Amino acid sequence: MDVDPLLEWARPRLRVLGTALAAGFALGVAATVVLPVVVGQTARVKTFAVGALLLGFGTLGWSGSAMAGRGIENAQRYMDTGSDWSEDDSRRAMTRVGSFGAGLMLAVPLVTAARG
Amino acid sequence: MVSKRFVAKRLLLLVPVLFGVATVVFAILHLAPGDPARLIAGQRASREQYRAVREALGLNQPLWRQYLDFLVNAVQFNFGRSYQPGGFGRPVREVIADTLPVTIELAVYGQLIGILIGIPLGILSAVKQDSLTDHATRIGALSGISVPIFWSGPLLILAVATPPLSLFPTSGRIGVGFTPGSDFTRHTGLVTVDTLLSGNLPAFVDAVQHLFLPSLVIGIYSTALISRMMRSSMLEVVRQDYVRTARAKGQGERITLMKHGFRNALIPVVTIIGIQFGTLLGGAVLTETVFGIGGIGTTLVAAISNQNYPVVQGTVLTFALLFTLVNLGVDVTYSYLDPRIDQ
Repeated sequence: MDVDPLLEWARPRLRVLGTALAAGFALGVAATVVLPVVVGQTARVKTFAVGALLLGFGTLGWSGSAMAGRGIENAQRYMDTGSDWSEDDSRRAMTRVGSFGAGLMLAVPLVTAARG
Repeated sequence: MVSKRFVAKRLLLLVPVLFGVATVVFAILHLAPGDPARLIAGQRASREQYRAVREALGLNQPLWRQYLDFLVNAVQFNFGRSYQPGGFGRPVREVIADTLPVTIELAVYGQLIGILIGIPLGILSAVKQDSLTDHATRIGALSGISVPIFWSGPLLILAVATPPLSLFPTSGRIGVGFTPGSDFTRHTGLVTVDTLLSGNLPAFVDAVQHLFLPSLVIGIYSTALISRMMRSSMLEVVRQDYVRTARAKGQGERITLMKHGFRNALIPVVTIIGIQFGTLLGGAVLTETVFGIGGIGTTLVAAISNQNYPVVQGTVLTFALLFTLVNLGVDVTYSYLDPRIDQ
């Protein structure tokens, strides 16, 4: 059976993005419901800001890997460091971090709107 | 020839970088303690006044709304007005437009000194390896890297800018006898360029004299780093087979070194120059402070300590934009020096 090449390309990437987004969203829902009771209303602001921080770092890390990843890989090979660092792994990790942050950010306004 | 696809890809990658920086800056400023509305309204402000300032700043909006507004404004490079106790100050765009050229001018001249002295010194040191010239250059480079700017700056002032020599002015960008607007027109904000464009030669000479010492302080550090990098890169290249082949074919030593060696040895040096120039734009704070020049680095430090959020956001994003553009320039230069890179 022929698989659409675009789908084949997108599926693993969407899985990484979706899993982290869902995990971030779940934690964000928990934080938005529980934390205001424990530490006050500023908790929502802080949860959103922490999510933004993760999204920012994830995006920066992803673009940094895309820009300089090949060079870093070559330098590691040249210096024989024996490290397993690769551009693909780095981008995957940064996608997870960024999507997790986006999930956190998404949860705060949605939960706040749902609770009125 | 540099391929358009390579440059387009690099330009596209600027978008996530700037988005990432904007998001991180927004998050950090909202995680940091302190209330800008209280700062502007003042400690004695009534509840109504405080609420009015919060509304004017948009702080009464939910954070997600503030974030979206911030992103939309950041794309248009609009960061609002700077904060000051008792009200709002100048537009951030104006603050950046005034201070950025100061730092750029300092960084460009400093880096120029570094390149003009560092590259020939590095080549000379490599060509005359283990000679007295080489040892002297290496010791000089090591000293240049090791000496901090907050020490070399005042030392230079004491040595050449105070009596009995008094060769150069110790602070400012231009003498008090020259007034921007009446003595020369502001075109670029770069005082040496503006005085030259206005055809005011005495003002130009005065500006060069004012900028010489701060540029030299930056240049000493740059020279040290560039000459060390150039030396090691050149030494590696001259041992390559293609250089040996050129020599075996009977090519002269100078042509072999400059035509085959220099261009290839330049690749790692360009990286260092690019990274250093980016760092200089943000890291010239010490030089600006020692020589009393109000650049963008000093503005950022003051804005952080005064919780002047719009100025912090604007300057950090400007740094990010400049840094990424400099890196783009470095990448383009790479692919010019070694066409295999963009393939």
